[in-house]
Amino acid sequence: MSVLREMLENLLSRPITILYPKEKVPIPESFRGRVAITDDKCIGCSKCSLVCPAQVITMIDGPREVEFKGKSFARKKRPQVKLYKCIRCGICERHCPTGAIYLKHELSSSGTDREVVIT
Amino acid sequence: MTDPVFILLYIFIFPGFFFLISYALFFAYLDRKIAARMQQRVGPPIYQPLADLIKMLGKEVINPNGVDWRVFDAIPLIALAAVMTAFLYVPVLGYSPLAFQGDLVVVLYLMALPTIALFVLGWLSRNIFSAIGGIRAVTQLFIYEVPFFLALLTPAIMAGSWSITEIVVWQQHNLWIIFFQPIGFIVALIGLQAKLERTPFDIPEAETEIVAGPWTELTGRRLALMDLATDVSLVVGSALVAALFLGGPMLPWVLAPFWLNGIAGFVLFLVKTLAVLLLLSSIKVATGRIRIDQLNDIGWKYIASAAVVQVGIVLVINYLWVVP
Amino acid sequence: MPEVVVSIGPQHPALKEPVNFKIVADGEKIVRLELDLSYNHRGIEKAAEQRNFIRVLPLLERVCGICSHSHATVFSKGIEEIMGLEIPPRAQYIRTIIAELERMHSHLLWLGVAAHVIGFNTLFMWTWRDREAVQDTLEEMSGNRVHYGMNEIGGVRRDLTPAQVEAALERLPALEERIKKYVEMVNSEETMLIRFRDVGKMSREEALKYGAVGPTARASGVDYDVRRDDPYLAYAEVPWNVITDTHGDVYGRTRVRVGELWESTQIVRYCLENLPAGPIRVDAPKNAPKGEILSRYEAPRGELAHFIRTNGTDKVERVDIRTPTLANWTSVAVCLVNQNIADIPVIVAAIDPCLSCTSRMTVVNRVDKEGR
Ligand code: SF4
Ligand code: SF4
Repeated sequence: MSVLREMLENLLSRPITILYPKEKVPIPESFRGRVAITDDKCIGCSKCSLVCPAQVITMIDGPREVEFKGKSFARKKRPQVKLYKCIRCGICERHCPTGAIYLKHELSSSGTDREVVIT
Repeated sequence: MTDPVFILLYIFIFPGFFFLISYALFFAYLDRKIAARMQQRVGPPIYQPLADLIKMLGKEVINPNGVDWRVFDAIPLIALAAVMTAFLYVPVLGYSPLAFQGDLVVVLYLMALPTIALFVLGWLSRNIFSAIGGIRAVTQLFIYEVPFFLALLTPAIMAGSWSITEIVVWQQHNLWIIFFQPIGFIVALIGLQAKLERTPFDIPEAETEIVAGPWTELTGRRLALMDLATDVSLVVGSALVAALFLGGPMLPWVLAPFWLNGIAGFVLFLVKTLAVLLLLSSIKVATGRIRIDQLNDIGWKYIASAAVVQVGIVLVINYLWVVP
Repeated sequence: MPEVVVSIGPQHPALKEPVNFKIVADGEKIVRLELDLSYNHRGIEKAAEQRNFIRVLPLLERVCGICSHSHATVFSKGIEEIMGLEIPPRAQYIRTIIAELERMHSHLLWLGVAAHVIGFNTLFMWTWRDREAVQDTLEEMSGNRVHYGMNEIGGVRRDLTPAQVEAALERLPALEERIKKYVEMVNSEETMLIRFRDVGKMSREEALKYGAVGPTARASGVDYDVRRDDPYLAYAEVPWNVITDTHGDVYGRTRVRVGELWESTQIVRYCLENLPAGPIRVDAPKNAPKGEILSRYEAPRGELAHFIRTNGTDKVERVDIRTPTLANWTSVAVCLVNQNIADIPVIVAAIDPCLSCTSRMTVVNRVDKEGR
């Protein structure tokens, strides 16, 4: 009987489905989305590429100046993430000494451009 | 009435085949929508059944190995033709111009045909799931057909006529039959649900047990036609129950211009069939599938006895109160 | 009627995972069952041996989508024991919260699947709708709906902020309300009773003999739950009950699961309200000393065991995973005999099978009792 009552209640109330492309799903603060790198924070220690369980971080050439502990360093390498293989585990973020690599609160991360799937 | 053009119009355009198919698609939409809303889902848009139909008509037809494709092509057509023919005898605008004594029996017979067609289909498919489904379909047919027939024949006994239209006319002068035969109405609803193979009686096509039963090997336009046949039988069944128990498409009094009666009848037809559909959909949503042996138990022990009791009651009423 | 062989799976709508049953049926009655597992060997154990402790956890989480936290926790628990680490209480509590939320979402999912299997799609839609609340909580706490990634050797990766605790506590009352309703429905809804009662009956002796675990065993009256009998995480401090049932059929298993749903809400509530302050992890050494351990854990489906052997490096030498589904398969094969063909999906679904998680084992062919 409780089923019948609930059926009627539902019939008279609004559906709770979120019609995705039209309505957006709320993304919580703590969401683990696509990986992003702040280049001028990264000291090129390659720790992230060592801990990444999916092994999608490679160190590529990216010469730049980095501020670290008040001093300026010239670094040659920077990490590159192949997002299409990344499992969004967040371990790189957890082990990065400077917080240069982090997971954005961004749900959608598919695309056809190279820039979208590789940072 | 006997004007051949009128008859042709009646058969092919309104309220014949054209109207029937559009109404059947609308019914399928409503059925899904009501079920969806009861489950707090959104449900399909209104054109979904039509889109499904067109899509499936255009799909490739796959012939299972070693199956006679001519029979496979014919069976969905036969099923569809049977239920569409049955609709011609069900009154829509007050009464059916094709009515004759005994059309009730013809309609019941024609409505049993799709089940037989499904059985043959399952048997021919050379697929274990289809075969099991086909056997289940026939087993189920034997269980629900008797109470269903009894339940639908009691109005005939009461009205003293084997013509649906005359039963409707009888109800115009007396009360709706549901007031005399509430048990019969319930049995008829259950029988209809079983005939249409909807939960809790979707045993022959139990998705989680035997894939899709007899439907497993149907593809493309065959599947489309068979689906359409099911939708049409939903309309025919609801219209039949509405006509036999709920007074059909007739007001208890006659309106002044002749055509107004037709319009009022049509509106009544819509309202009453939709009411029956709502009941059927609620049953579908509120229950799960039962097992064939449980259906056997329930069917013969309770539903059939209820139908027999109803027949007895009707005979007593008829004896005590000689119907005018 | 002669015996027919009905082959179910590996592609079949009732079983969305690869397993093959050859059912020998006489009419609608099942005579015998031939079971063929391991369609989906994924080589996870071997892969686990190649990765260090940081990188192995996400891999083990992916053994199973639904009990992802269970696999990660049981492994870190074992490694921590070998390393001799003492986990801070806050981390224990957070792990418990996630574990119980996981149990809730798994059992709600199961209830929906069980309803779907008997064609009762309404309940399926409703439970999956309510499961969203649990998933949202998990997503808020851990950042993901399925693979929470909360564990690391030595504690948890993320802390719960007061706002998250608040939000989770806010969601709980509605959930408790719904779960109460499901308890009532399971006990009174005729359409479920008729399909679940006296189906797949298994006595206590059989359950013990065939080594059933988890809700399947508890429904047969086996009073055994790793959470109580070998307490880990915060279970020793939290007040809760082990749910058992004496029916021994699918109905009993349903009752045990909805009962556990309720217990889980209470555990989550207690843990959230009594979350101890303090650090959330201790620093773990890189290498683990030589050792062997059998780590046990009560996953939603039953007892999960990881056998871990370390050899003084930063990798495991061997990890052997025994999923609850594997322990329960034998009981299914026994339950199915003499049942109706139509009841196969119900009985199989009643153990909440997770087949791909199981597909790494040495399979014993149960029909002719030969190892393969
Ligand atoms: S989130 Fe995980 S998989 Fe992705 S780049 Fe970071 S460590 Fe690698
Ligand atoms: S992102 Fe962080 S961990 Fe990776 S190289 Fe840069 S500083 Fe090191």
